[in-house]
Amino acid sequence: MQAAFDRRRINGPEESFSPTFTNEPQESILENVHRTRKDRNISDIRPIFLQPGLISQANGSAYIETQRTKIACSVYGPRQSKNTTYNEKGKLNVEVKFAPFSCERRRTPLRDAEDRSIATAIQQALISSVRLEQFPKSTIDIFLIIIEADGVEGCIASGSTAASTALADAGIDMYGLVTSCTAAVVGADIWIDPTQEESNIANGIFILSCMPALGIVTNVWQSGRMTPSQVLACIDVCDSRCTDIHSIVAQSLLVNARSKT
Amino acid sequence: MAEGLSSRVNSFLSDPEREALKAATFQRLHPRIYLERFLQEKIRPDGRSKAEDINDANVWRNVEVNVGSITTASGSALVRLGNTTVVCGVKAEICEPELDNPHEGFLVPNIDLPALCSPKFKSGPPTEEAQVLSERLNEVLGNGMIPLSSLCICPGKSAWVLYVDATVINYDGNAFDAALLAMVCALRNVSLPHADFDPEVNRTICIRPGFDPAKPARNLAIQEDLVPLAFSFGVFARSHLLPDPTASEEPLLDTTISIILDARARVLALSQLGVGVNKSETLDQGVDSNSTTREADTLARCISLAKIRHAVLLEKLYDI
Repeated sequence: MQAAFDRRRINGPEESFSPTFTNEPQESILENVHRTRKDRNISDIRPIFLQPGLISQANGSAYIETQRTKIACSVYGPRQSKNTTYNEKGKLNVEVKFAPFSCERRRTPLRDAEDRSIATAIQQALISSVRLEQFPKSTIDIFLIIIEADGVEGCIASGSTAASTALADAGIDMYGLVTSCTAAVVGADIWIDPTQEESNIANGIFILSCMPALGIVTNVWQSGRMTPSQVLACIDVCDSRCTDIHSIVAQSLLVNARSKT
Repeated sequence: MAEGLSSRVNSFLSDPEREALKAATFQRLHPRIYLERFLQEKIRPDGRSKAEDINDANVWRNVEVNVGSITTASGSALVRLGNTTVVCGVKAEICEPELDNPHEGFLVPNIDLPALCSPKFKSGPPTEEAQVLSERLNEVLGNGMIPLSSLCICPGKSAWVLYVDATVINYDGNAFDAALLAMVCALRNVSLPHADFDPEVNRTICIRPGFDPAKPARNLAIQEDLVPLAFSFGVFARSHLLPDPTASEEPLLDTTISIILDARARVLALSQLGVGVNKSETLDQGVDSNSTTREADTLARCISLAKIRHAVLLEKLYDI
């Protein structure tokens, strides 16, 4: 549906709808009572492809792909803050944008609340890792474009990991690399790194962001129904997966740095 | 203090790195002289040769095309033109046709130049540059390559609207050529589900591909003859013709020329903003001096360069 007439864009018809199908497949909820995961172990993450430095115009950048989730991230700065008030610490600005074709339904180009909530989550995951006191009066801009989304949680986790990689690629001082991992409570099990379909049937979702090299947690986000012991179990599994992801990030940065010289 | 800092930085660097830093600083401060010095040596800053020999493939940047990698889109393509990267996704939706054109659907191309792709763009509504690009792409794609009547499901009741959205991921100049190629490739990749309009409930119902073998998904009815491809050029200092300009060259150009060719390499559209290459300069570049006007000279040269490149691109397009 066209949200509003915008003369700065090429406009289509006044309203349009995504196609409706006959015989929608109705399997997921009822048939999956025993809920076994289809193509991987419950403690496995999806394979990660991470490539720093793809965007040549940016100070630092990273592209991350975890199966269907595809995110491009670029870092500009530190550059002069727009507002003139003096700030002893630098500002970390995170902006997230969905490409119009990134989801099942077309997203109109106008920004909505979902973009901002993802941006806030990523900013919170990163802010304590960056040495902002080194950059007075400056802003570090992190821009992310979600080319294809497979679950909001996956976007937050992959986005945080990509953004931290891009910050490292830009040579910005950090205490450590931030990696992030999600978990979903499905029945009695904890499924790591759920897809959109899997988080739809989950009771609760958990996202952990941490700096594995320092053993420090930077952000925890939980929603839905979970027992305290499940939350603690989620922290444990996510933490160990984050350590795995950390070695992927470190390796990709190393390969990229070597290829430059 | 600045000197202290720079000497501190320099002590970390090897000799070639220090030279590269000097060159980068010089380019930043004197972009025009930087480019002039390269062109004097008959080479472009990114290592391409100057467009002197018409058959030299090294005057253009490398193109890579990858289609169909985005599953949420009806059709998609990723194009890399040198460092310029554009992703394009097509979303097909259903709407009511216009009253004036009850047999026609819609094709809605837009390009986005987000803050991510270059430091010269800010986040927010489309910049002037994005608006101009969208408008030009709309004009070119509206040439009848996709007959709008082929998007009709039920006359006056229901039709397809194709939202063709291109997003520039890395802006290193000549976004128009890259975006048009991405849009064409994404449209060729589109698969539309079978759709029927049900007059009783006043709704259009689609059949999931593979569900009913008698009602399969279909590709778009593309008029292959009319598939457009764009070739852009810049004129620097009225004396150098630069095909496929990069982001560092673009702001220095006095003239931009775009040639749009169809699949049979006939000229579909042509635009030249500014004056052509000065004749006295082109003479010593070995350009045919018999032509009467220099504008015609430059344009003829651009068209012949474009046609040679067209053959190379077409091969890429049909090989994917």
